[in-house]
Amino acid sequence: MAESGQARIGEIVETESTRFVAESFELHRPPALGQLVYAPGDDDTCLYGVVCYGTTASPDPGRRAVRRSTEEVFDQAVYEEHPQLELMLRTEFAARLVGYVDATRVHHYLPPQPPALHYSVYACEIDQVARFTERLTYLRSLLELPEIAPEQLLAAHIREVYRLRGEDRDWLSRAAREVAGLLKNDYERLMTVLYGIEP
Amino acid sequence: MPLDIDALYRQAQDMVRDLPEAGENPQLAEAQRYLCRADPQLLRQKLLARERATAKIPWLVAPPPLFDSYTVVAADGSPIPPDRHSPVRYFVVNFGHVELTYGARPHAEIASELRLSYTEEDLYFDPQDKRIPIEGTRLGIHMSVGEMVALRGAARDVQLPAVALRDGSLILWQLQSRDEDPDLCAAYLERFLSALEDLRQQDIPVASYVSYPGSHDVANSLRLLLCDYPDGCRRCPQATDGQRLCRFIGTLVDRQLYQGLLSPGERSDVFESQSAILSQYGAHRVRFFYLDVGGEIARVEAPLWVMEDPEMRDAVHSIVYDQCQRSAQYPPYPAVLIEAHEAAVISTGGRQVVEEMMARLLASKGYPYLRSAKDHSKRSRGV
Repeated sequence: MAESGQARIGEIVETESTRFVAESFELHRPPALGQLVYAPGDDDTCLYGVVCYGTTASPDPGRRAVRRSTEEVFDQAVYEEHPQLELMLRTEFAARLVGYVDATRVHHYLPPQPPALHYSVYACEIDQVARFTERLTYLRSLLELPEIAPEQLLAAHIREVYRLRGEDRDWLSRAAREVAGLLKNDYERLMTVLYGIEP
Repeated sequence: MPLDIDALYRQAQDMVRDLPEAGENPQLAEAQRYLCRADPQLLRQKLLARERATAKIPWLVAPPPLFDSYTVVAADGSPIPPDRHSPVRYFVVNFGHVELTYGARPHAEIASELRLSYTEEDLYFDPQDKRIPIEGTRLGIHMSVGEMVALRGAARDVQLPAVALRDGSLILWQLQSRDEDPDLCAAYLERFLSALEDLRQQDIPVASYVSYPGSHDVANSLRLLLCDYPDGCRRCPQATDGQRLCRFIGTLVDRQLYQGLLSPGERSDVFESQSAILSQYGAHRVRFFYLDVGGEIARVEAPLWVMEDPEMRDAVHSIVYDQCQRSAQYPPYPAVLIEAHEAAVISTGGRQVVEEMMARLLASKGYPYLRSAKDHSKRSRGV
Protein backbone atom coordinates (compact mmCIF):
# COMPACT_ATOMS: atom_id res chain seq x y z
CA MET A 1 0.00 0.00 0.00
CA ALA A 2 1.23 3.52 -0.80
CA GLU A 3 2.66 5.32 2.15
CA SER A 4 1.41 8.84 2.68
CA GLY A 5 3.72 11.48 1.27
CA GLN A 6 5.15 9.28 -1.47
CA ALA A 7 5.31 10.90 -4.87
CA ARG A 8 2.62 9.94 -7.33
CA ILE A 9 4.20 10.00 -10.78
CA GLY A 10 1.33 8.89 -12.97
CA GLU A 11 -2.16 7.50 -13.39
CA ILE A 12 -2.88 4.13 -14.96
CA VAL A 13 -4.69 4.46 -18.30
CA GLU A 14 -4.28 0.89 -19.57
CA THR A 15 -3.88 -2.23 -17.50
CA GLU A 16 -3.50 -5.94 -18.16
CA SER A 17 -2.06 -8.98 -16.43
CA THR A 18 1.52 -8.45 -17.58
CA ARG A 19 1.88 -4.67 -17.85
CA PHE A 20 0.27 -1.32 -17.38
CA VAL A 21 0.46 2.07 -19.09
CA ALA A 22 0.29 5.28 -17.09
CA GLU A 23 0.03 8.93 -18.01
CA SER A 24 2.94 10.80 -16.49
CA PHE A 25 2.18 13.86 -14.39
CA GLU A 26 5.23 15.57 -15.88
CA LEU A 27 5.29 16.30 -19.61
CA HIS A 28 8.38 14.93 -21.40
CA ARG A 29 9.63 13.30 -18.19
CA PRO A 30 8.42 9.74 -17.79
CA PRO A 31 10.27 7.79 -15.12
CA ALA A 32 13.67 6.52 -16.26
CA LEU A 33 13.85 3.44 -18.44
CA GLY A 34 14.37 0.48 -16.13
CA GLN A 35 13.13 2.31 -13.03
CA LEU A 36 11.20 0.26 -10.48
CA VAL A 37 7.72 1.66 -9.85
CA TYR A 38 4.66 0.33 -8.09
CA ALA A 39 0.88 0.61 -8.05
CA PRO A 40 -1.39 -0.29 -5.17
CA GLY A 41 -3.14 -3.66 -5.47
CA ASP A 42 -5.79 -5.52 -3.48
CA ASP A 43 -5.39 -6.14 0.26
CA ASP A 44 -2.55 -3.72 0.88
CA THR A 45 -0.31 -5.27 -1.76
CA CYS A 46 2.07 -3.27 -3.94
CA LEU A 47 2.38 -4.37 -7.55
CA TYR A 48 5.90 -3.76 -8.85
CA GLY A 49 6.78 -2.94 -12.44
CA VAL A 50 9.89 -2.03 -14.39
CA VAL A 51 9.47 0.95 -16.72
CA CYS A 52 9.98 -0.44 -20.21
CA TYR A 53 8.76 2.33 -22.47
CA GLY A 54 8.10 6.08 -22.52
CA THR A 55 6.47 8.30 -25.11
CA THR A 56 5.21 11.85 -25.58
CA ALA A 57 2.61 12.45 -28.28
CA SER A 58 -0.82 13.86 -28.98
CA PRO A 59 -3.54 11.67 -27.43
CA ASP A 60 -5.72 12.40 -30.44
CA PRO A 61 -4.86 9.90 -33.19
CA GLY A 62 -6.09 12.38 -35.76
CA ARG A 63 -3.65 15.08 -34.68
CA ARG A 64 -0.01 14.24 -35.15
CA ALA A 65 2.65 16.62 -33.91
CA VAL A 66 3.89 18.90 -36.68
CA ARG A 67 7.04 21.00 -36.96
CA ARG A 68 6.72 24.33 -35.17
CA SER A 69 10.30 25.55 -34.89
CA THR A 70 11.78 28.39 -36.91
CA GLU A 71 15.33 29.71 -37.15
CA GLU A 72 14.68 31.95 -34.16
CA VAL A 73 12.23 29.81 -32.18
CA PHE A 74 13.22 26.28 -31.27
CA ASP A 75 13.38 23.80 -28.38
CA GLN A 76 11.87 25.25 -25.18
CA ALA A 77 10.97 28.50 -26.96
CA VAL A 78 8.53 26.50 -29.12
CA TYR A 79 6.51 25.78 -25.97
CA GLU A 80 6.59 29.43 -24.91
CA GLU A 81 5.36 30.55 -28.33
CA HIS A 82 2.65 27.87 -28.40
CA PRO A 83 1.46 27.55 -24.79
CA GLN A 84 -1.41 25.27 -25.78
CA LEU A 85 1.07 22.49 -26.53
CA GLU A 86 1.40 21.76 -22.82
CA LEU A 87 -2.31 20.88 -22.82
CA MET A 88 -2.34 19.01 -26.12
CA LEU A 89 0.48 16.55 -25.44
CA ARG A 90 0.63 13.55 -23.13
CA THR A 91 3.62 11.72 -21.75
CA GLU A 92 2.95 8.05 -21.07
CA PHE A 93 5.06 5.21 -19.82
CA ALA A 94 4.61 1.46 -19.77
CA ALA A 95 5.79 -0.82 -16.98
CA ARG A 96 6.24 -4.56 -17.12
CA LEU A 97 4.83 -6.21 -13.99
CA VAL A 98 7.60 -8.20 -12.29
CA GLY A 99 6.12 -9.10 -8.92
CA TYR A 100 4.31 -7.86 -5.87
CA VAL A 101 4.81 -7.38 -2.18
CA ASP A 102 2.21 -8.26 0.40
CA ALA A 103 2.23 -8.04 4.18
CA THR A 104 4.61 -10.95 4.56
CA ARG A 105 6.94 -11.29 1.61
CA VAL A 106 8.20 -10.38 -1.85
CA HIS A 107 6.84 -12.39 -4.77
CA HIS A 108 8.84 -12.49 -8.00
CA TYR A 109 6.04 -13.51 -10.30
CA LEU A 110 2.97 -11.88 -11.83
CA PRO A 111 0.35 -10.68 -9.37
CA PRO A 112 -3.02 -12.46 -9.42
CA GLN A 113 -4.79 -9.26 -10.51
CA PRO A 114 -3.54 -6.37 -12.64
CA PRO A 115 -3.58 -2.93 -11.02
CA ALA A 116 -6.81 -0.98 -11.27
CA LEU A 117 -7.40 1.50 -14.06
CA HIS A 118 -7.00 5.15 -13.00
CA TYR A 119 -5.07 4.18 -9.87
CA SER A 120 -1.83 5.96 -9.09
CA VAL A 121 1.70 4.90 -9.92
CA TYR A 122 4.48 5.69 -7.45
CA ALA A 123 8.25 5.75 -7.74
CA CYS A 124 9.79 3.15 -5.41
CA GLU A 125 11.69 4.48 -2.45
CA ILE A 126 15.25 3.26 -1.91
CA ASP A 127 14.26 0.80 0.82
CA GLN A 128 11.55 -0.66 -1.43
CA VAL A 129 14.07 -1.07 -4.27
CA ALA A 130 16.57 -2.71 -1.91
CA ARG A 131 14.00 -5.16 -0.58
CA PHE A 132 12.47 -6.10 -3.95
CA THR A 133 15.83 -6.51 -5.76
CA GLU A 134 17.58 -8.44 -2.99
CA ARG A 135 16.77 -11.63 -4.85
CA LEU A 136 17.15 -11.49 -8.64
CA THR A 137 14.71 -14.09 -9.90
CA TYR A 138 12.40 -11.36 -11.21
CA LEU A 139 14.93 -10.43 -13.93
CA ARG A 140 13.72 -13.31 -16.10
CA SER A 141 10.36 -11.50 -16.39
CA LEU A 142 12.14 -8.89 -18.49
CA LEU A 143 13.28 -11.31 -21.19
CA GLU A 144 10.13 -11.13 -23.30
CA LEU A 145 8.89 -7.67 -24.10
CA PRO A 146 7.06 -6.26 -27.10
CA GLU A 147 8.17 -2.67 -26.51
CA ILE A 148 11.94 -2.85 -26.33
CA ALA A 149 14.89 -5.21 -26.81
CA PRO A 150 15.07 -7.13 -23.47
CA GLU A 151 18.85 -6.78 -23.17
CA GLN A 152 18.49 -2.99 -23.33
CA LEU A 153 15.88 -3.01 -20.59
CA LEU A 154 17.87 -5.41 -18.42
CA ALA A 155 20.93 -3.18 -18.69
CA ALA A 156 18.92 -0.01 -17.97
CA HIS A 157 17.20 -1.61 -14.98
CA ILE A 158 20.41 -3.01 -13.47
CA ARG A 159 22.15 0.37 -13.86
CA GLU A 160 19.22 2.13 -12.17
CA VAL A 161 19.05 -0.30 -9.24
CA TYR A 162 22.84 -0.26 -8.85
CA ARG A 163 22.71 3.51 -8.49
CA LEU A 164 19.79 3.45 -6.03
CA ARG A 165 21.48 0.75 -3.95
CA GLY A 166 24.39 3.11 -3.39
CA GLU A 167 26.61 1.56 -6.10
CA ASP A 168 26.44 -1.85 -4.45
CA ARG A 169 29.22 -3.79 -6.29
CA ASP A 170 28.24 -7.06 -4.68
CA TRP A 171 24.68 -6.73 -5.96
CA LEU A 172 25.96 -5.77 -9.42
CA SER A 173 28.10 -8.93 -9.56
CA ARG A 174 25.14 -11.05 -8.54
CA ALA A 175 22.96 -9.39 -11.16
CA ALA A 176 25.60 -9.99 -13.85
CA ARG A 177 25.78 -13.67 -12.90
CA GLU A 178 21.98 -13.92 -12.96
CA VAL A 179 21.87 -12.41 -16.46
CA ALA A 180 24.71 -14.70 -17.57
CA GLY A 181 22.58 -17.66 -16.51
CA LEU A 182 19.50 -16.32 -18.29
CA LEU A 183 21.33 -15.58 -21.54
CA LYS A 184 23.83 -18.42 -21.50
CA ASN A 185 22.67 -19.52 -24.95
CA ASP A 186 22.81 -16.07 -26.51
CA TYR A 187 26.29 -14.65 -26.37
CA GLU A 188 25.52 -11.44 -28.31
CA ARG A 189 22.62 -10.41 -26.10
CA LEU A 190 24.53 -11.33 -22.95
CA MET A 191 27.46 -9.14 -23.99
CA THR A 192 25.07 -6.26 -24.75
CA VAL A 193 23.83 -6.43 -21.14
CA LEU A 194 27.30 -6.83 -19.65
CA TYR A 195 28.71 -3.90 -21.65
CA GLY A 196 25.67 -1.89 -20.63
CA ILE A 197 26.11 -2.40 -16.90
CA GLU A 198 29.87 -2.01 -16.70
CA PRO A 199 30.37 0.64 -14.02
CA MET B 1 -23.49 -0.09 -55.76
CA PRO B 2 -20.07 1.29 -56.71
CA LEU B 3 -19.83 4.82 -58.10
CA ASP B 4 -19.55 5.07 -61.88
CA ILE B 5 -16.18 6.79 -61.78
CA ASP B 6 -15.66 6.35 -65.52
CA ALA B 7 -18.73 8.46 -66.29
CA LEU B 8 -17.64 11.09 -63.77
CA TYR B 9 -14.15 11.15 -65.30
CA ARG B 10 -15.54 11.89 -68.76
CA GLN B 11 -17.64 14.76 -67.37
CA ALA B 12 -14.68 16.08 -65.39
CA GLN B 13 -12.58 16.06 -68.56
CA ASP B 14 -15.24 18.23 -70.24
CA MET B 15 -15.23 20.57 -67.26
CA VAL B 16 -11.46 21.00 -67.26
CA ARG B 17 -11.36 21.43 -71.05
CA ASP B 18 -13.65 24.47 -70.77
CA LEU B 19 -11.56 26.13 -68.06
CA PRO B 20 -9.16 28.93 -69.05
CA GLU B 21 -5.47 28.26 -68.47
CA ALA B 22 -4.46 29.10 -64.90
CA GLY B 23 -1.80 31.71 -64.29
CA GLU B 24 -1.60 35.24 -65.62
CA ASN B 25 -4.99 36.80 -66.08
CA PRO B 26 -4.91 40.19 -67.83
CA GLN B 27 -8.53 40.92 -66.91
CA LEU B 28 -7.85 40.28 -63.22
CA ALA B 29 -4.83 42.59 -63.33
CA GLU B 30 -7.03 45.24 -64.93
CA ALA B 31 -9.67 44.76 -62.21
CA GLN B 32 -7.01 45.12 -59.51
CA ARG B 33 -5.67 48.30 -61.11
CA TYR B 34 -9.20 49.64 -61.13
CA LEU B 35 -9.60 48.73 -57.45
CA CYS B 36 -6.41 50.64 -56.61
CA ARG B 37 -7.46 53.84 -58.33
CA ALA B 38 -11.14 53.73 -57.41
CA ASP B 39 -12.45 57.07 -56.20
CA PRO B 40 -14.08 56.68 -52.76
CA GLN B 41 -16.03 59.94 -53.10
CA LEU B 42 -17.53 58.95 -56.41
CA LEU B 43 -18.48 55.56 -55.03
CA ARG B 44 -20.03 57.17 -51.97
CA GLN B 45 -22.17 59.35 -54.23
CA LYS B 46 -23.26 56.38 -56.28
CA LEU B 47 -24.00 54.34 -53.19
CA LEU B 48 -26.01 57.13 -51.63
CA ALA B 49 -27.90 57.58 -54.86
CA ARG B 50 -28.93 53.96 -54.49
CA GLU B 51 -29.70 54.54 -50.80
CA ARG B 52 -27.13 52.05 -49.69
CA ALA B 53 -24.69 52.37 -46.85
CA THR B 54 -21.20 53.75 -47.26
CA ALA B 55 -18.15 51.76 -48.22
CA LYS B 56 -14.54 52.69 -48.70
CA ILE B 57 -12.15 51.76 -51.44
CA PRO B 58 -9.23 50.66 -51.52
CA TRP B 59 -6.21 51.57 -49.38
CA LEU B 60 -3.80 48.96 -48.12
CA VAL B 61 -2.58 49.05 -44.52
CA ALA B 62 0.64 47.47 -43.30
CA PRO B 63 0.51 45.34 -40.13
CA PRO B 64 0.75 47.47 -36.97
CA PRO B 65 3.36 46.55 -34.33
CA LEU B 66 2.41 43.57 -32.20
CA PHE B 67 2.14 43.75 -28.40
CA ASP B 68 4.96 42.18 -26.38
CA SER B 69 2.32 40.26 -24.46
CA TYR B 70 -1.27 39.60 -25.42
CA THR B 71 -4.17 37.27 -24.79
CA VAL B 72 -6.53 35.86 -27.38
CA VAL B 73 -9.69 33.95 -26.56
CA ALA B 74 -11.94 31.95 -28.85
CA ALA B 75 -15.04 29.79 -28.66
CA ASP B 76 -16.54 27.28 -31.04
CA GLY B 77 -19.44 24.85 -30.93
CA SER B 78 -20.47 21.47 -32.28
CA PRO B 79 -23.99 19.97 -32.12
CA ILE B 80 -25.60 16.55 -32.12
CA PRO B 81 -28.97 17.52 -33.64
CA PRO B 82 -32.29 16.04 -32.55
CA ASP B 83 -32.74 12.44 -33.70
CA ARG B 84 -36.27 11.75 -34.89
CA HIS B 85 -35.85 8.08 -33.98
CA SER B 86 -35.21 8.86 -30.36
CA PRO B 87 -38.20 8.05 -28.14
CA VAL B 88 -37.47 11.27 -26.25
CA ARG B 89 -36.48 14.44 -28.04
CA TYR B 90 -33.12 15.98 -27.15
CA PHE B 91 -30.06 17.57 -28.71
CA VAL B 92 -26.53 18.04 -27.52
CA VAL B 93 -24.17 20.97 -27.98
CA ASN B 94 -20.51 21.08 -27.05
CA PHE B 95 -18.90 24.50 -26.69
CA GLY B 96 -15.12 24.65 -26.60
CA HIS B 97 -13.32 27.73 -25.37
CA VAL B 98 -9.66 28.58 -25.38
CA GLU B 99 -7.53 31.29 -23.82
CA LEU B 100 -3.94 31.71 -25.00
CA THR B 101 -1.53 34.24 -23.49
CA TYR B 102 1.79 35.05 -25.13
CA GLY B 103 4.78 37.02 -23.94
CA ALA B 104 6.67 37.01 -20.67
CA ARG B 105 4.26 34.59 -18.97
CA PRO B 106 2.82 32.27 -21.61
CA HIS B 107 -0.27 30.44 -20.53
CA ALA B 108 -3.06 28.35 -22.03
CA GLU B 109 -6.50 27.27 -20.92
CA ILE B 110 -8.61 24.89 -22.98
CA ALA B 111 -12.01 23.71 -21.81
CA SER B 112 -15.29 22.49 -23.17
CA GLU B 113 -18.83 22.36 -21.91
CA LEU B 114 -21.18 19.64 -23.09
CA ARG B 115 -24.85 20.54 -22.69
CA LEU B 116 -27.86 18.30 -23.07
CA SER B 117 -30.99 20.17 -24.12
CA TYR B 118 -34.16 18.26 -23.31
CA THR B 119 -36.66 20.50 -21.54
CA GLU B 120 -39.57 22.04 -23.42
CA GLU B 121 -37.89 25.44 -23.08
CA ASP B 122 -34.67 24.00 -24.55
CA LEU B 123 -36.30 22.24 -27.45
CA TYR B 124 -38.90 24.73 -28.58
CA PHE B 125 -39.09 28.46 -28.92
CA ASP B 126 -42.23 29.63 -27.14
CA PRO B 127 -43.19 26.07 -26.09
CA GLN B 128 -46.59 27.06 -24.73
CA ASP B 129 -47.85 28.91 -27.77
CA LYS B 130 -45.97 28.77 -31.08
CA ARG B 131 -43.91 25.72 -30.20
CA ILE B 132 -41.23 26.27 -32.86
CA PRO B 133 -38.73 23.38 -32.76
CA ILE B 134 -35.02 24.21 -32.49
CA GLU B 135 -33.69 22.17 -35.39
CA GLY B 136 -32.16 22.61 -38.84
CA THR B 137 -31.31 26.24 -39.61
CA ARG B 138 -32.67 27.28 -36.22
CA LEU B 139 -30.18 25.00 -34.51
CA GLY B 140 -27.53 26.81 -36.56
CA ILE B 141 -28.76 30.13 -35.17
CA HIS B 142 -28.83 28.60 -31.69
CA MET B 143 -25.20 27.52 -32.13
CA SER B 144 -24.04 30.90 -33.47
CA VAL B 145 -25.59 32.73 -30.55
CA GLY B 146 -24.34 30.10 -28.08
CA GLU B 147 -20.81 30.47 -29.42
CA MET B 148 -20.94 34.22 -28.91
CA VAL B 149 -22.20 33.75 -25.35
CA ALA B 150 -19.40 31.20 -24.77
CA LEU B 151 -16.91 33.72 -26.18
CA ARG B 152 -18.14 36.31 -23.71
CA GLY B 153 -17.65 33.79 -20.91
CA ALA B 154 -14.14 32.89 -22.12
CA ALA B 155 -13.18 36.58 -22.23
CA ARG B 156 -14.29 37.26 -18.67
CA ASP B 157 -11.38 38.46 -16.50
CA VAL B 158 -8.73 38.10 -19.22
CA GLN B 159 -5.67 40.27 -19.11
CA LEU B 160 -5.55 43.16 -21.58
CA PRO B 161 -4.54 43.63 -24.31
CA ALA B 162 -6.78 40.91 -25.57
CA VAL B 163 -8.88 40.01 -28.58
CA ALA B 164 -11.93 37.75 -28.60
CA LEU B 165 -12.04 35.81 -31.85
CA ARG B 166 -14.56 33.48 -33.38
CA ASP B 167 -14.78 31.52 -36.56
CA GLY B 168 -17.17 32.52 -39.35
CA SER B 169 -19.21 35.64 -39.74
CA LEU B 170 -20.64 38.01 -37.14
CA ILE B 171 -23.60 38.53 -39.45
CA LEU B 172 -26.53 36.34 -38.42
CA TRP B 173 -27.71 36.06 -42.01
CA GLN B 174 -30.06 33.21 -41.07
CA LEU B 175 -32.23 35.75 -39.24
CA GLN B 176 -32.91 37.55 -42.52
CA SER B 177 -35.21 34.79 -43.74
CA ARG B 178 -38.76 36.00 -44.14
CA ASP B 179 -39.95 32.54 -43.18
CA GLU B 180 -38.49 32.78 -39.70
CA ASP B 181 -40.59 33.83 -36.76
CA PRO B 182 -39.91 37.51 -35.90
CA ASP B 183 -40.11 36.92 -32.14
CA LEU B 184 -37.59 34.09 -32.38
CA CYS B 185 -35.28 36.28 -34.47
CA ALA B 186 -35.58 39.13 -31.98
CA ALA B 187 -34.87 36.87 -29.03
CA TYR B 188 -31.73 35.34 -30.54
CA LEU B 189 -30.49 38.69 -31.84
CA GLU B 190 -30.96 40.23 -28.40
CA ARG B 191 -28.80 37.51 -26.80
CA PHE B 192 -26.17 37.87 -29.50
CA LEU B 193 -25.95 41.66 -29.25
CA SER B 194 -26.00 41.49 -25.47
CA ALA B 195 -22.85 39.33 -25.55
CA LEU B 196 -21.21 41.79 -27.95
CA GLU B 197 -22.18 44.66 -25.66
CA ASP B 198 -20.64 42.94 -22.65
CA LEU B 199 -17.37 42.55 -24.55
CA ARG B 200 -17.56 46.21 -25.47
CA GLN B 201 -18.05 47.17 -21.82
CA GLN B 202 -14.92 45.17 -20.98
CA ASP B 203 -12.94 46.97 -23.74
CA ILE B 204 -12.17 43.64 -25.40
CA PRO B 205 -12.25 43.94 -29.17
CA VAL B 206 -14.20 41.12 -30.74
CA ALA B 207 -13.69 39.90 -34.28
CA SER B 208 -14.53 36.98 -36.49
CA TYR B 209 -12.38 35.23 -39.04
CA VAL B 210 -13.61 33.92 -42.38
CA SER B 211 -11.15 31.66 -44.15
CA TYR B 212 -11.34 31.52 -47.96
CA PRO B 213 -14.25 33.99 -48.02
CA GLY B 214 -16.71 33.82 -50.87
CA SER B 215 -18.25 37.28 -50.45
CA HIS B 216 -18.63 39.83 -53.25
CA ASP B 217 -19.06 43.10 -51.30
CA VAL B 218 -16.02 44.91 -52.72
CA ALA B 219 -16.48 43.44 -56.20
CA ASN B 220 -20.09 44.58 -56.21
CA SER B 221 -19.06 48.08 -55.12
CA LEU B 222 -16.53 48.24 -57.95
CA ARG B 223 -19.18 47.20 -60.43
CA LEU B 224 -21.42 49.94 -59.15
CA LEU B 225 -18.59 52.41 -59.63
CA LEU B 226 -17.94 51.15 -63.15
CA CYS B 227 -21.52 50.98 -64.22
CA ASP B 228 -22.48 53.41 -66.97
CA TYR B 229 -25.56 51.49 -68.02
CA PRO B 230 -28.12 51.82 -65.24
CA ASP B 231 -30.88 49.98 -67.11
CA GLY B 232 -29.77 46.62 -65.82
CA CYS B 233 -27.03 44.10 -66.46
CA ARG B 234 -29.24 41.88 -68.57
CA ARG B 235 -29.67 44.54 -71.24
CA CYS B 236 -26.11 45.90 -70.97
CA PRO B 237 -24.54 45.65 -74.46
CA GLN B 238 -21.02 45.17 -73.01
CA ALA B 239 -19.76 47.35 -75.80
CA THR B 240 -17.20 49.38 -73.86
CA ASP B 241 -14.07 48.32 -71.99
CA GLY B 242 -15.73 49.44 -68.75
CA GLN B 243 -18.80 47.33 -69.39
CA ARG B 244 -16.68 44.29 -70.22
CA LEU B 245 -14.56 44.84 -67.09
CA CYS B 246 -17.75 45.18 -65.05
CA ARG B 247 -18.99 41.85 -66.36
CA PHE B 248 -15.66 40.21 -65.57
CA ILE B 249 -15.60 41.59 -62.01
CA GLY B 250 -19.04 40.05 -61.61
CA THR B 251 -17.37 36.64 -61.87
CA LEU B 252 -14.89 37.44 -59.07
CA VAL B 253 -15.08 37.14 -55.31
CA ASP B 254 -13.36 39.75 -53.15
CA ARG B 255 -10.44 37.57 -52.16
CA GLN B 256 -9.45 37.23 -55.81
CA LEU B 257 -9.30 41.01 -56.13
CA TYR B 258 -6.86 41.19 -53.21
CA GLN B 259 -4.77 38.14 -54.06
CA GLY B 260 -1.37 39.49 -55.03
CA LEU B 261 -2.43 43.05 -54.31
CA LEU B 262 -1.85 42.70 -50.58
CA SER B 263 1.45 41.51 -49.12
CA PRO B 264 1.53 39.14 -46.13
CA GLY B 265 0.37 41.03 -43.06
CA GLU B 266 -1.27 43.83 -45.02
CA ARG B 267 -4.98 44.48 -44.83
CA SER B 268 -7.41 46.30 -47.05
CA ASP B 269 -9.32 49.35 -45.98
CA VAL B 270 -12.35 48.80 -43.78
CA PHE B 271 -15.72 48.23 -45.43
CA GLU B 272 -19.23 48.10 -44.13
CA SER B 273 -21.35 45.12 -44.92
CA GLN B 274 -24.70 45.64 -46.64
CA SER B 275 -26.62 42.73 -45.12
CA ALA B 276 -30.16 43.72 -44.25
CA ILE B 277 -30.02 42.19 -40.76
CA LEU B 278 -27.31 44.68 -39.79
CA SER B 279 -29.87 47.47 -39.62
CA GLN B 280 -30.82 45.91 -36.28
CA TYR B 281 -27.24 45.70 -34.96
CA GLY B 282 -27.04 49.33 -33.76
CA ALA B 283 -23.53 50.07 -32.43
CA HIS B 284 -22.51 46.56 -33.37
CA ARG B 285 -22.95 46.99 -37.13
CA VAL B 286 -20.41 44.77 -38.80
CA ARG B 287 -17.45 46.13 -40.72
CA PHE B 288 -14.72 44.06 -42.27
CA PHE B 289 -11.36 44.10 -43.97
CA TYR B 290 -9.42 41.60 -46.01
CA LEU B 291 -6.10 40.40 -44.64
CA ASP B 292 -3.30 38.58 -46.41
CA VAL B 293 -2.34 36.03 -43.78
CA GLY B 294 0.49 34.63 -45.89
CA GLY B 295 -1.13 31.93 -47.96
CA GLU B 296 -4.67 33.14 -48.38
CA ILE B 297 -6.82 36.24 -48.19
CA ALA B 298 -9.03 36.06 -45.09
CA ARG B 299 -11.96 38.25 -44.18
CA VAL B 300 -11.91 39.73 -40.69
CA GLU B 301 -15.17 41.14 -39.35
CA ALA B 302 -15.67 43.29 -36.27
CA PRO B 303 -18.36 45.57 -34.87
CA LEU B 304 -18.35 49.27 -35.61
CA TRP B 305 -16.98 50.15 -32.14
CA VAL B 306 -13.91 48.03 -32.82
CA MET B 307 -13.27 49.18 -36.37
CA GLU B 308 -13.69 52.87 -35.49
CA ASP B 309 -11.23 52.69 -32.60
CA PRO B 310 -7.71 52.76 -34.10
CA GLU B 311 -6.15 50.93 -31.15
CA MET B 312 -8.73 48.15 -31.18
CA ARG B 313 -8.64 47.86 -34.97
CA ASP B 314 -4.83 47.62 -34.91
CA ALA B 315 -5.02 45.05 -32.11
CA VAL B 316 -7.35 42.87 -34.19
CA HIS B 317 -5.15 43.30 -37.28
CA SER B 318 -1.85 42.49 -35.58
CA ILE B 319 -3.13 39.73 -33.31
CA VAL B 320 -5.09 37.91 -36.02
CA TYR B 321 -2.04 38.02 -38.29
CA ASP B 322 0.24 36.83 -35.49
CA GLN B 323 -2.18 34.01 -34.68
CA CYS B 324 -1.96 32.87 -38.29
CA GLN B 325 1.85 32.87 -38.11
CA ARG B 326 1.59 30.60 -35.07
CA SER B 327 -0.45 27.95 -36.83
CA ALA B 328 1.62 24.99 -37.92
CA GLN B 329 -0.16 24.66 -41.25
CA TYR B 330 -0.30 26.18 -44.70
CA PRO B 331 -2.38 28.09 -45.60
CA PRO B 332 -2.32 29.43 -42.06
CA TYR B 333 -5.34 29.67 -39.78
CA PRO B 334 -5.43 31.30 -36.32
CA ALA B 335 -3.98 28.93 -33.72
CA VAL B 336 -6.64 29.86 -31.16
CA LEU B 337 -9.43 28.94 -33.59
CA ILE B 338 -7.80 25.60 -34.34
CA GLU B 339 -7.77 24.78 -30.63
CA ALA B 340 -11.32 26.06 -30.05
CA HIS B 341 -12.53 23.82 -32.86
CA GLU B 342 -10.64 20.85 -31.45
CA ALA B 343 -12.11 21.51 -28.02
CA ALA B 344 -15.63 21.70 -29.42
CA VAL B 345 -15.74 19.09 -32.13
CA ILE B 346 -17.74 15.93 -31.39
CA SER B 347 -16.09 13.09 -33.25
CA THR B 348 -17.95 10.22 -34.90
CA GLY B 349 -16.86 8.04 -32.01
CA GLY B 350 -18.08 10.65 -29.51
CA ARG B 351 -21.46 10.77 -31.23
CA GLN B 352 -21.77 7.00 -30.99
CA VAL B 353 -20.88 7.09 -27.30
CA VAL B 354 -23.54 9.75 -26.65
CA GLU B 355 -26.16 7.88 -28.66
CA GLU B 356 -25.44 4.57 -26.95
CA MET B 357 -25.48 6.19 -23.52
CA MET B 358 -28.81 7.90 -24.21
CA ALA B 359 -30.28 4.68 -25.65
CA ARG B 360 -29.21 2.74 -22.56
CA LEU B 361 -30.58 5.31 -20.13
CA LEU B 362 -33.85 5.60 -22.00
CA ALA B 363 -34.20 1.82 -22.26
CA SER B 364 -33.77 1.56 -18.49
CA LYS B 365 -37.01 3.56 -18.19
CA GLY B 366 -38.75 1.48 -20.85
CA TYR B 367 -38.20 3.82 -23.83
CA PRO B 368 -36.58 1.78 -26.63
CA TYR B 369 -35.08 3.41 -29.74
CA LEU B 370 -37.31 2.29 -32.62
CA ARG B 371 -35.49 3.08 -35.83
CA SER B 372 -37.23 3.43 -39.18
CA ALA B 373 -36.80 0.54 -41.59
CA LYS B 374 -34.82 2.84 -43.86
CA ASP B 375 -32.44 3.89 -41.09
CA HIS B 376 -32.10 0.30 -39.92
CA SER B 377 -31.19 -0.80 -43.45
CA LYS B 378 -28.41 1.80 -43.55
CA ARG B 379 -27.00 0.69 -40.23
CA SER B 380 -27.03 -3.04 -40.92
CA ARG B 381 -25.87 -3.30 -44.50
CA GLY B 382 -25.75 -6.78 -45.98
CA VAL B 383 -25.36 -8.45 -49.32
